Amino acid sequence: MRLKRKSKVNAMPKGFVALCVLPALALVLVFLIYPTATAVVMSFTNAASLAAGGVDFIFLDNYIRMFTNDPHFIVALRNTLQILAVVPAVTIFMALVFAFGLTQSKLKEKSVYRVLFFLPSILSLVVVAVVFSALFHPRSTGPINMLIGWFGIDAIPWLGDPTFAIWALTIVMVWQAVGYYMVLLIAAIDGISKEIYEAADIDGASAIAKFFRITAPLLMDQIGITYVLALSGTMSISFILGRVMTNFGPGTATLVLPGHMYNMAFGPAASFGYAMAIMVFTLGMALVFAFVSRKLTVRKERL
Amino acid sequence: MKQKFDAYRAKAFTIRWSIRILLLIYTLIVLYPLFWNIMSSFKSTEEILHSLTAFPQGFALDNYVRAFVQANMGEYLFNSIFVVTSSLVMLLIFTIPCAYAMARYQFFGSKVVELLFAMCLFIQTVYIYIPLYSLLHRLNMLDNLFALAFVYAAISIPFSAFLLAGYMRGISPSFEEAAKIDGCGNWKTLFKVVVPMSKPGIITVALLNGMGFWNEYILALVTLRSPENRTLPIGVANLFEVQRRATDFGALYAALMIVLVPTLIMYFIGQSYLTKGIAMGGEKG
Repeated sequence: MRLKRKSKVNAMPKGFVALCVLPALALVLVFLIYPTATAVVMSFTNAASLAAGGVDFIFLDNYIRMFTNDPHFIVALRNTLQILAVVPAVTIFMALVFAFGLTQSKLKEKSVYRVLFFLPSILSLVVVAVVFSALFHPRSTGPINMLIGWFGIDAIPWLGDPTFAIWALTIVMVWQAVGYYMVLLIAAIDGISKEIYEAADIDGASAIAKFFRITAPLLMDQIGITYVLALSGTMSISFILGRVMTNFGPGTATLVLPGHMYNMAFGPAASFGYAMAIMVFTLGMALVFAFVSRKLTVRKERL
Repeated sequence: MKQKFDAYRAKAFTIRWSIRILLLIYTLIVLYPLFWNIMSSFKSTEEILHSLTAFPQGFALDNYVRAFVQANMGEYLFNSIFVVTSSLVMLLIFTIPCAYAMARYQFFGSKVVELLFAMCLFIQTVYIYIPLYSLLHRLNMLDNLFALAFVYAAISIPFSAFLLAGYMRGISPSFEEAAKIDGCGNWKTLFKVVVPMSKPGIITVALLNGMGFWNEYILALVTLRSPENRTLPIGVANLFEVQRRATDFGALYAALMIVLVPTLIMYFIGQSYLTKGIAMGGEKG
């Protein structure tokens, strides 16, 4: 009797659970899963714009076109790879140094740094893009050119120059993201036992030795997760900054894959099918990088 | 012995100050663009054209008036407030029950739902905005602020549900059991017991998403067509493009401040919730 009543309290209220889960699940299926699936299907078609009839399957033609008949795609791929090679690595390295400095030093004001460093990641990227467009002013009176002038470097035309424009965007991306990843890594460092650091102190380990011998190896797993987050974050940030700051120029100097996708879908020669093929390629590439980085970091942790 | 101790102290002092100086330099790098924006929003356009780095001569508050009235920032501000509040309400209505079921019940297909939501964490707006655009076109939901809010809510469900379910798992189920023994139904238990106890988790979800919705650019860019429907980020980006020719820089930088100030206020009020939420969400990957 008692058992029966207990099981009644814990019994699964099927109707209640269904009402809780199904609406949310339905929305996810319609607005996330379905668009992704349509994108994959559309990438094998010659859909021009809003699928207004006359769509034919052309199988891999869109993918073949990317590599054989679209120089802009190759440029966008190269720019994206350059950004993905530089931004997550530099951002995570700086975030790691700051996170280590903040957790190991006994500075009284350390929570102030944490709050301030995190600040850029909550700002509107459009606002960030507009402000940095002015800071990167090409004349020697531009704020950033004045700063580098103090170190004896000549003024750089930044956004107007095909070589420097992508580096200007890179700097903004790092500036924007360091604090966010620092907070992630601080949480992970707080999870490392204090005793390990105390033991290292007794052995007379220097701060640099502690960073490379304890913090970095023990954080490998979290660094891997952070890298995966940074990869997908960098994709959308490069699109917004590129569109607002340089309109993906000068020429195609800051054209990135999401930007090329946008031009192909909404430009004069609208081709949704081709844009979707670029999207599927980009997402696939990000997934491969994420998978490889997880494999690498997990193995290093075991060694 | 004492000498050795002094040397150790001197070394600790050097290390502490070198870390501090590094952090202070980076603080300047982080704050200067913000400080520059505040400063420029109070400069007249002539002052800005004369020098980008000089301090303002006075407070050119008419920049703000022109931003609000001539540049329509007032209208866009209203649109943004409408989108953020309605999407947050919808998001919480869908996410709270879903997160609760995920946290407490091993229902049929619960592993599948979790896997599906985990996969969705990879699907960013930047990848799916074109199929979303054509879906909204077919549903006749383009250029509609409420529809945009609905989509914001829908695509934020997986991340929010994970975060909130993680928080709810940390609450002891004994309170709910007590409520049920007292005769509360499932819904009453959820709203009278679980929701009040999950308040910090719900605030974190609302803050993280609210900031994201406020700043969202890509979907608003492709779905909103008519000028009177623009949200703040679209309005500002558009003003910037126009400004390249018309050069009312004072109003432009004032408009940027109108976008920033609400997020800054929310950040300094709720920053502990935000950073905790980031740490929680990040560990989930």
